Amino acid sequence: MPATTPMLEVNNLYVHYGGICALHQVSLHVDPSEIIAVIGANGAGKSTLMKTIAAVKDFTSGSIQFMGMPLKKDPYKVVMDGITLVPEGRRIFAPLSVRENLLLGAYTRSDRQEVAQTMEEVLELFPRLRERLHQRGGTLSGGEQQMLAVGRALMSRPKLLMLDEPSLGLAPIIIDTMFEAITRLNQQMGLTILLVEQNASLALELCHRAYVLKTGHITMEGNGRELLEDERVRSSYLGITGG
Amino acid sequence: MDLFLQQVVSGISIGAIYSLLAVGYALVYSVYNFTNWAFDAFMAFGAFMAFYAISSFFLPFWVAAIISILLAIGMAVSTEKLAYRSLRLRKAPRLFMMISAMGANLAIVNLLNLFFGGQFRRFPVENIGTFSMGQVSVGRMDVLAGIISFGVLGLLWVFLYRTKPGLGIRASSIDILTASLMGINNDAVAFIIFAVTGVLSSVAGIFYGIKYAVYPTMGIVTIKAMIASIVGGLGSLPAAVVGSMLLGILETLVAGYISSTYRDLFSFLFLVIILLFFPNGLMGKSSDEKL
Repeated sequence: MPATTPMLEVNNLYVHYGGICALHQVSLHVDPSEIIAVIGANGAGKSTLMKTIAAVKDFTSGSIQFMGMPLKKDPYKVVMDGITLVPEGRRIFAPLSVRENLLLGAYTRSDRQEVAQTMEEVLELFPRLRERLHQRGGTLSGGEQQMLAVGRALMSRPKLLMLDEPSLGLAPIIIDTMFEAITRLNQQMGLTILLVEQNASLALELCHRAYVLKTGHITMEGNGRELLEDERVRSSYLGITGG
Repeated sequence: MDLFLQQVVSGISIGAIYSLLAVGYALVYSVYNFTNWAFDAFMAFGAFMAFYAISSFFLPFWVAAIISILLAIGMAVSTEKLAYRSLRLRKAPRLFMMISAMGANLAIVNLLNLFFGGQFRRFPVENIGTFSMGQVSVGRMDVLAGIISFGVLGLLWVFLYRTKPGLGIRASSIDILTASLMGINNDAVAFIIFAVTGVLSSVAGIFYGIKYAVYPTMGIVTIKAMIASIVGGLGSLPAAVVGSMLLGILETLVAGYISSTYRDLFSFLFLVIILLFFPNGLMGKSSDEKL
């Protein structure tokens, strides 16, 4: 355990949908400048975890601390504090232009010039978006939409970037580009990243540490390499048996 | 031909008032997916407030209009807070929102009845007469109503398409959950949207009151705005304006050439015919899940 206080600390979190318990005593922490992956199968509660940290879903008990303070209850305040979620399925504002989508990402900021500068940085990170700047978001390909979703989230200048299934529905070559960009954001800018993925091998390659979520419980944690070599992880999530 | 032109000008004027009302419905519908039935009560409320500001406090028309607009904003915003917000936060089905809206409508209309009585009142504004262009004579008040209404709609357009809160509202109308992930405060958006409906309803109420009369159930005319927004295509603001103009002109032509008794009959007939050929309205996109 590092000596620094964690950026995000989740303790004994319980989340319910009606009477159904979706997250069960979940505890995890994210330290500054880490990439943390949460892997798990469909329905394990990965998206629920993301939504709860983004404050769009209420939790029943437990605690979430961000930068040493309890998490705010309203999604917009959470964004203002520095947590931005790239939602599952990208959720681009299809009728709005790429530029408008990016500007919406900076909705909580009022410093016009700095917003313009951040947009420039985002367009440098994803040059494809520059070519499409005045096109409607809905006309972009899946990969471009994912770039837009990540770019849009970066516009808020998050301290913690959360990504919900960034590889979902993308071609392998696009996934590589996407994950390269994520690594670069972390290495060059020190951005802290929490991502959930079904594509476990990809996530484990990339992350510093990872948690395995199974039917609402954290069943394992460790650094990416360790988990990649773990027999249970290999058979359950990587589809590799024997050996 | 003169009669025709005269009726068209008059139709544009009434169409402009319908536009304000139709846009008021469309705006709430586009974000919250429910029909704000309380809106027509805001209209009557706005008209009454202007009426009493003039008749009891002897304020000039413009001052009365501004007071009426401010009070209608207050009424609309508090209706949202009292009748809709808790339902919205609990993600209640939109049917509940509509029932709540009907309740708010009944409450406001009956309060107006209680305090001011149900009789028809002439709006206390002097007749500013007509002016002629060639053989055509046009009511000055009609022209004023048209200009002010379009002015208000123009300002709304600038607000929605040229400002940051406007962008936030457009994003909310597309996907309100993702909008909140962008850091948009849903409650603030609701406040702005209902404040705008307050302005729209009050301006429409005043001009409609001047054209006809002021009475607690005058908001029933918003059924025309509903027809207009369905004809145009539900949930879209430009469509609401197009539908309103068509309906306004059709109505005054029917009143001029056939009979004003049958005016409403033709309005509904128009709706039926449009829906037969354009089930989603003239500019509508999808008919599923719309009321």
